[in-house]
Amino acid sequence: MSMLTRARTPRTPDTSGTPRTVAARRPPLTVIAAMVVLALVVIAALLHPLVMDWALTQNVALGPVGTGVEGHVFGTDQLGRDVLALSLAGARSALGGPILVALGSMLIGVVLGGTAGYRGGSLDFLAGRYTDLLLALPATLLAIVVAGVLGGGYWVTAVVLIVLFSPSDVRLVRAAVMEQRPLPYIEAARVSGISGPRVLFRHIAPNVLPIVVANALLNVAFALVAFSSLSYLGLGVPPGTPDWGRQLADGRDLLGSNPMVTIVPGLLIIATATAVNLVGDWLEGRLNSEAVER
Amino acid sequence: MSALLSVTGLSVLGPRGRLVEPVDLALDPGETVAIVGESGSGKSMTAKALTGLLPSGVRAAGTMLLGGRELDLAAGETGWRGIRGGGIALLLQDPFTSLSPVHRCGDQIGWGLTGSRRTRSARVATLLAEVGLPERVAGQYPFELSGGMRQRVALAAALAADPQVLIADEPTTALDVTTQKDVLDLIAGLQRSRDMGLILITHDLGVARSRADRILVMYAGRLVEQGSAAAVLDTPGHPYSARLLGCEPPLDRQLTRLASIAGSVPQPYDVGAACAFAPRCMLAVDACVAAAPPLVAIGPGHAAACVRTGEVLDDPVGPTVDGPRPEPVESPETGEVIGATGAVPLLRVADLTRRFHGTETPALDGVSLEVAQGESVAVVGESGSGKTTLARCVVGLEHPDSGSIELAGGADGRAQRVQIVFQDPYSALNPGLTIGTTLRETLRAAGRPAELVEGLLELVGLPAAYARRRPKALSGGERQRVAIARALAVEPDLLVLDESVSALDVSVQAQVLNLLRDLQQRLDLTLLFITHDLAVARQVSQRVYVMRAGRVVEHGPTDAVLARPQQDYTQRLLASVPSAHRTED
Amino acid sequence: MSEGRARPLVAYTLRRLLGAVALLFVLSVVVFSLIYWAPGDIARNLLGNRQVTPESLAAVRRQYHLDQPFVVQYAGWLRAALHGDFGRSIRTGEPVGGLIRDRIGVTAAICGLAFVLSVVGGVAAGIACAVRRGSWLDRILVSGSVLGVSAPAFAVGLLLLYVFAVWLGWFPFYGTGDGLLDGLWHLALPALTLAIGLAAFVVKLTRAAVARELDADYVVFARSRGLGRGAVLRIVLRNAAVPIVTSLGLLLAYLFGGTVLVEVTFALPGAGALMQDAVEFKDFPVVQALTLAVGLIVTLSAVVVDVVYLLVDPRLRGRVSHR
Ligand code: SF4
Repeated sequence: MSMLTRARTPRTPDTSGTPRTVAARRPPLTVIAAMVVLALVVIAALLHPLVMDWALTQNVALGPVGTGVEGHVFGTDQLGRDVLALSLAGARSALGGPILVALGSMLIGVVLGGTAGYRGGSLDFLAGRYTDLLLALPATLLAIVVAGVLGGGYWVTAVVLIVLFSPSDVRLVRAAVMEQRPLPYIEAARVSGISGPRVLFRHIAPNVLPIVVANALLNVAFALVAFSSLSYLGLGVPPGTPDWGRQLADGRDLLGSNPMVTIVPGLLIIATATAVNLVGDWLEGRLNSEAVER
Repeated sequence: MSALLSVTGLSVLGPRGRLVEPVDLALDPGETVAIVGESGSGKSMTAKALTGLLPSGVRAAGTMLLGGRELDLAAGETGWRGIRGGGIALLLQDPFTSLSPVHRCGDQIGWGLTGSRRTRSARVATLLAEVGLPERVAGQYPFELSGGMRQRVALAAALAADPQVLIADEPTTALDVTTQKDVLDLIAGLQRSRDMGLILITHDLGVARSRADRILVMYAGRLVEQGSAAAVLDTPGHPYSARLLGCEPPLDRQLTRLASIAGSVPQPYDVGAACAFAPRCMLAVDACVAAAPPLVAIGPGHAAACVRTGEVLDDPVGPTVDGPRPEPVESPETGEVIGATGAVPLLRVADLTRRFHGTETPALDGVSLEVAQGESVAVVGESGSGKTTLARCVVGLEHPDSGSIELAGGADGRAQRVQIVFQDPYSALNPGLTIGTTLRETLRAAGRPAELVEGLLELVGLPAAYARRRPKALSGGERQRVAIARALAVEPDLLVLDESVSALDVSVQAQVLNLLRDLQQRLDLTLLFITHDLAVARQVSQRVYVMRAGRVVEHGPTDAVLARPQQDYTQRLLASVPSAHRTED
Repeated sequence: MSEGRARPLVAYTLRRLLGAVALLFVLSVVVFSLIYWAPGDIARNLLGNRQVTPESLAAVRRQYHLDQPFVVQYAGWLRAALHGDFGRSIRTGEPVGGLIRDRIGVTAAICGLAFVLSVVGGVAAGIACAVRRGSWLDRILVSGSVLGVSAPAFAVGLLLLYVFAVWLGWFPFYGTGDGLLDGLWHLALPALTLAIGLAAFVVKLTRAAVARELDADYVVFARSRGLGRGAVLRIVLRNAAVPIVTSLGLLLAYLFGGTVLVEVTFALPGAGALMQDAVEFKDFPVVQALTLAVGLIVTLSAVVVDVVYLLVDPRLRGRVSHR
């Protein structure tokens, strides 16, 4: 899918046959596999300082060689850098930025969407215009233009993406809070004189938070795709940084000499994003069915 | 005599076990059989099994003989093809969801029809006329129609293929009482003119008495009694039928105490080989839990599944006493009768108006009302009467456009002096918090010590151990009790009950109504009952306000208003209520 | 009666179009101010390889009105743009309008192909999934759609390129080809790349929409009346069309982001590739014009979707005419 699509598909609880029982709690095999993949990527990201030297070692004379060359499992790129080392080193920028974006967007969503949904009034109106405007603009394009015009940079890109991701979070939280507000137990709490903040944090937040957390996880996947897309276009990370998107950009011209330059980071991006999505979907479904059961 | 429809050994199997134990059923042309039961009785599952429309994961067994054709109830989709529509048609409860929202009513009625466009639209017009709707409805969408009209459209659609048998699953439960009467009259008329068999699924004994030739009473997935309507309702042969009848609040008099059935309905698959009613039955003996009692004939066409049937017929109901009640007194200022126990108005609502954005008629259109200290006042009305908006204004959840709401002793802190209990027991309590936490939190907000939790639970008739439970582990009636306890935690002067017992089964409803009456006496509470149910209003209130379209059309002492209504509307309302009890005239 | 129904619809459409114009205005201001306040000196860019002297810089500034205040610059740009003049490319000196017109064909072809492929395939697969919920077909397609949603277009594109162009040699490595058939052959891989992600999204969405409708009461009622599978499915689809149509509009808007990546990956001379070049070389007139062009398409498609939405959902129609 295109790089910035975060439109949520509505989810229906699966009512196909088997009753909701303990079986639903144990993650299915695909999700376990996804968790293993994620764990490996996280380990690679944590090992970043250790592999950096190896990854940055150039051997221009060697040039791009294919698999099997002594010491280079997946061969080297046009600068003679080891593909495996580069890919391991790229794990950090593949996870760091996206996690930051998901958290930042979640924060905006919770603060703006939460208060807008609970308080309503003019604040809600402003929040509504904010999301309308940002959602109506062609987000992908804006990301490319803003990142390009402002001269890229990893952190600038992160901020741009936070702003572009935030409207859907604001909408999600706002809708969830507004769904809770007219519930009898919330109204009863208000009538019995329990203070506003207490109602919000004690009664509404616990019922909204699961959706928000699951959504943040899904946002990580989308931000990962967005980040790597931008760096593929030469935006986002400075040249020379180990980054999967950049590797693919280089790899296009090396498909003939060493396809691994493309294939390894390409599969890594797909696998990581899929894994995050699978875990996010599973978490969301699980939290939903828990909410139904209670 | 050969029946139109005869069913042998119908049973329903769910993922956790049997939901309906084998039931036999026969229906003659032109006959109406009512299947009566509370929630969890299996009556709806039985209806769905008769059309092969059980939800996934649930299977039926048994055989059915319809007009000479035999069908295995476990048959797949193809087996049902010839039966549905022309053989058996099903009318569902909620007219708001049973029609497709994006198709015109005429198209929906015409779906089952064949022939040219012209003949089909002529047929649609005939069907619409048959259900008493003008032809223009064919071009309208369901959302443009009222609930009653939608149910008529659904009825026309169900009749399109000229079924021999119509199964109506709670066809009027979602409708207002006056509309309910019209629709039931319509169904009865069509049944007669078409000589159709009718199976009426209902929880309402009044509906069953007024409409059915025969009644089948179900309890926890078992058929416990069957017979002619008069036999079952006048001389019930099963303790459950008798007790259920006793729980039904009468419209024509006020009882000091309603009969109720302690406990709640078990899951059908938990019962095993015993009488399902045994844990709640006052007459239970050892034989009752030794084996499931079979249906035994106790009269012509009358049978009950009880080992002590025959002995029990005379003392079925328990204490339902007519008792003396406090007399209404006159207000010193206006000379109007306003209260029972004191003449001081606790709540005074004057000229309240409220119009919601984007609606044509105001929800409240100049409503005035007074409630005296210690009094119990009912506000009755159909949907759209504005009664709920009134309640929400009184507790401060809604703000009126104009008018005043005064509480004796100043308006400050109204929120805590007026408390509310809502209708839906399932969303009444925060699912994530234990009962104890919920109550403690409310106590703290009122500045009262947290140790009072046990006392509160005891006050509403729940064991103290419930404090550690979560709402999930409670039945509907128990949840409403906790909601009442929460409201009482802040020691309110006025308790607003917004349809608080409407979602409960009749036996549980009686328990909660009795509880409320006890509480009122013990705590000197003032109650404002918002209800659509005139019989409930009769039981709980000293004075009543009748509302319609945002206005109060009539008010006065409950006995007087309900016995000698002055306004047409009130008269019509009263005339529409079907009674479960023998009418004594 | 038809007039009574048409008038609110026209009013609604006009209102939405006005909104779209306002949005485009905001977009142009945003992009213009971004460029205005961007780090770096535009004049230096404009000079290109020419010698940078204070005089030449000043001359360029005067020529491009860069010495004027922001509002004046923007007004000048807007006036020209409204007359169809978007200035000249800094890099090539060609008029921007012509530049875009030359490139737009390829982009339209890729996007159109991808859109048709993904909608036809995605809707069909989504319906199949919803009807046979829990079956192996459903499970495979749902897992596939998670994969498709997660895989960025450029990664998919490069992998396809390697397998089908480099390794198997079934498809050309780059270029647009001549003639219709050759053109299709050249655009097949790019369009497929773009379609995979979109289709995955459409599958998810259609499945959810149809499944929700299948659980509705009116389905039980329709079945109880003896309607066959096909008839019931038709009713369900008409209802599910409402949410599906809305999301298809979203897709249209997102196609452009994907096409930038795909064109760059397959070295196709489309508007997306032009965008990347323009951003890279800070060719601001091109960036500005392209942004607006895409903005125009996106907002117009949003208006179209909303109007179609109104046509498929009678309830909404009622609400609009009541306003
Ligand atoms: S069988 Fe026994 S427990 Fe059951 S209803 Fe009869 S007397 Fe009561």
